[in-house]
Formats: sequence, C-alpha cells, structure tokens
Amino acid sequence: MTNKLNPGKIVQLLTISTQQMDEATLSALANARQNALNRQSVRAPVFTLASASAHSSVRWTDRLIPHSVQPWIAAGLLAAILFAGTSYWQNVQEQQIDETDVAILTSDLPIEVFVN
Amino acid sequence: MKSFVYFKIQCPIVAVLLLLSLTSSPCSAAAPSWRSLTPIQREALAPMVGQWDILPEIQRNRLLKTAKYYPKMTPEQKQRYHDRLEKWSKLTPEQREAARKRYRAFKKLPANERERIKQKLKAEQAKKAQQSAASGVSATTVTNQQ
Repeated sequence: MTNKLNPGKIVQLLTISTQQMDEATLSALANARQNALNRQSVRAPVFTLASASAHSSVRWTDRLIPHSVQPWIAAGLLAAILFAGTSYWQNVQEQQIDETDVAILTSDLPIEVFVN
Repeated sequence: MKSFVYFKIQCPIVAVLLLLSLTSSPCSAAAPSWRSLTPIQREALAPMVGQWDILPEIQRNRLLKTAKYYPKMTPEQKQRYHDRLEKWSKLTPEQREAARKRYRAFKKLPANERERIKQKLKAEQAKKAQQSAASGVSATTVTNQQ
C-alpha cells in the first residue's frame, strides 16, 4: 500500500467509478448535489463582512465601497468609537473632580479635616 | 505578497493609534484672564482677584469649573466657598488630590458615622474657641482662620 495517489489519479478513478454507476444512483446523486447547492445559496453570506468569498463573485461591501478603502473606513470607525469613549470617560472623571472640589469648598466641615 | 497584505492591514491600525495618541493628549483650553471673566465668575472668584492672572492655567480652569456651581449655592455655602478659595488654591496638586480622596472616603461612611464625626469636630472647635478666648485671643479670629 505504498502507492501514492495524486489528485489527478483520484479524479480519474472517480470518473471511471461514476461511469460504472447505474442511472438511478447517478440521478439520486445529482438531486442530492442540487439540494445541497440550493441550501447553500440560502445560507449565503448576505450581511457578513469577513466571510471567505472564494465561491461568490463580489461581496455587497465591495460593491458599495472599494475594497482598498475598507480597512481605512474600519480604522476610522474604530478611532471614532475609541475617541468618543475616551472623551466620555474623561468628562465623567472631570465632572467628579469638580463636584468633589465644590463639596470640599462648601462643606459644613472645616477644610482642614480633608487637607491635613 | 504576504508582507503587502500585512502592510494593508497594519497601516490603518497605525493611523488609528497615531490619531488617538494625538487626540487623547491632555490639552486644556487656555484659561481666561481676570478681565475676560463674566460678572458671575468674578463674583464667585472674588477672593482670587489679586492672584488670578498668575495662577497656572490648569488651576484657573479647575477653579472656573467650580465657579459654575456658585449661583446654585446657599448664602452659607457661598461664604464658605469664598473663605476657602485662597487656601485651596495655595495647596499643591498632590495635596488637593489627597483631600479629594479623604472627602470621598468620608462620603462613603454611614450617615450616623458621618454625623458622629461632625459632632466631635464641632465640640473640638468649641473647646478650642473657649481656650483661645481664655488666653486672650478673640474667638472670632479663630473662627475666621477655620
């Protein structure tokens, strides 16, 4: 069993075997293949951004935005989200400091209680 | 080919990191001079009139933010705010941060515990005032210092 089969040989053997099959089996296999293809077309990635598209022609994102620009748009969106998040967090921190300062400056306790 | 793909992927990420490093750097707005303050801001920050223009910008901005709360303060709070502004502005940033931490820790205490501390401090103040009065220093001077 040291014979090594190359892909060409396998295809050849399969073709020969297929030719030896009766019509009913071939018809059943053809139907099964068609059903499988139909199911696959239903599950086709309509809204996926990163699925492999070897079998499909052009992704919907590529139709809207040129493929070369997409990483930049994604990076821009990421930057915008990170910037907004950072700004919001900084604002919250700043407001907390302001409120604490005002509370210390107006507290009915002497400022020395907190300073010393 | 592989390196080209990596370049395409990394380039926007590098750009994002550069953009964020630029935008997230602390840059505060230039603090206004005393002349350019609004009448309400001047009223709130009145004790600082002599030193305002020589204060560091970051401190002026911080005080301006506290001054926003001034119109909503009660008369007692306004008085305390005015009395304490100068001392507060003379503290180092580290001292102010330590004071904030102490205040937050105090606020986290249960209400009855906070009240107990307040009563204790009031009693100590009254005792000090009595001792000062007894030793010839007027009680009003002590209260002003506090």
